[in-house]
Amino acid sequence: MYYRKSWSNLLFVCLLFLLVGCSISPLARNTAAFSSATSLVADNTQNAYRTAVRLNEEAQASLLVARYDTDHPMDPHSIRPLIDEKGLQARTEVLDGLRTYAQTIADLASGVSSPKLDEAAAACGSNLKSLGDALASSTSIGINITSTEANATSTALKALGDFLVNRQVKSSVPKAIQNMDPTVEALSRLLSSDIDILRDQAGRDYEQILAQQDGFIRHAGSSLSASERRAEIQRLPRILASKKATDDMLTELQLSIQKLAVTHHALAVAAASKDSASLQARIADLRASAERLATFYQSLSESSK
Amino acid sequence: MSRAKSSSRKTASPPPSPAVATPQSDPSPSLPPAFSNPDTVATYKSLYDILGRAYWEASDVNAKDTIQGARDSIYEILTDLNAAKLEANTALFLALQAKIRDTNKALDEIKEKVNNITKNISTASSVIAAIAKVLSITPALL
Repeated sequence: MYYRKSWSNLLFVCLLFLLVGCSISPLARNTAAFSSATSLVADNTQNAYRTAVRLNEEAQASLLVARYDTDHPMDPHSIRPLIDEKGLQARTEVLDGLRTYAQTIADLASGVSSPKLDEAAAACGSNLKSLGDALASSTSIGINITSTEANATSTALKALGDFLVNRQVKSSVPKAIQNMDPTVEALSRLLSSDIDILRDQAGRDYEQILAQQDGFIRHAGSSLSASERRAEIQRLPRILASKKATDDMLTELQLSIQKLAVTHHALAVAAASKDSASLQARIADLRASAERLATFYQSLSESSK
Repeated sequence: MSRAKSSSRKTASPPPSPAVATPQSDPSPSLPPAFSNPDTVATYKSLYDILGRAYWEASDVNAKDTIQGARDSIYEILTDLNAAKLEANTALFLALQAKIRDTNKALDEIKEKVNNITKNISTASSVIAAIAKVLSITPALL
């Protein structure tokens, strides 16, 4: 009789676990994947801003050199960043905020307090056993709570905690994602607008650097040795290759950002409807796109070493 | 004209926060009115490209310098224009910043509610532990 009761308790706990586990996993999995992809896109976008600002500074510096010995030299103080500190700060904070948002919904969906909950539930079972022992020794009630029963209590409490957390998450996280959707869409449009400007500017920055390099070679004439001249001329096609690589990178980044908004929208829809098949395809697509860019930045930093 | 000389451009004052930030498709109001016309900007870009082709076709260094001098000036105008557009977008980023901050605050509150569930179980555990402790010293009192 006693064993039958214990087994039925355990079965109940297992069923509760299955119920909790099955209902939370798609949201947890999707938000975790979205968070990881968002983090990559945010990193890539911040790198793109830094790359564009540095490139523009290089273009202005080459203009400074070209005008140095002319009758209208350029004042070095006039070199100003394409995006000022305040502008970069605003963009960084927005991207960090987006990263935090994505991480928080992922944490919530996966049950952020799980380790704490496990700890509390385990302590509760253990304390219950001590209570049984204390009751048995101090009264004539004769309660004996076995280790198995204490463990079952811990498991049941853990399942109950998970259930309550899950209920809280399911009632609030999908709503938060839906409320955030227009903001993510607006942010995507804004970042895309920035990238249009950066692409336009980067193209001319490279053209300026190319022409100044050409002018330098021609004016240097015979003051360069044959091998120096050769090395300087060989820089010209490399500048053009960098121009193309940067433009390709910015185009890919713009696509990633557009995909981010579309994926977030799919996440909002899936969070409400449980239909996440197309969402997973979108997340995989977004992540692949962001990873290609991350590899590109890595190759940039390795080549600059 | 260097960017310093053209840096006399006015600083764009942030527009009132829109309900949903929308990037401006036209140049910022901080630039001369002529640049609010997309055709003018397109003409400058086109001129820059034409001068670029002329630069590479020219064989004389002096001709190249002359062409590049004109090209540099157009480059500076277009760079100032892009800097102004980015500055105008900064105001929109600041508007979005507040919205994202509010959402993260709301999510933190949900997180707190979730943490409270754990706290409640911890409290129950502490109560049981306290009762057990009291009971363990009861025989001595009895």
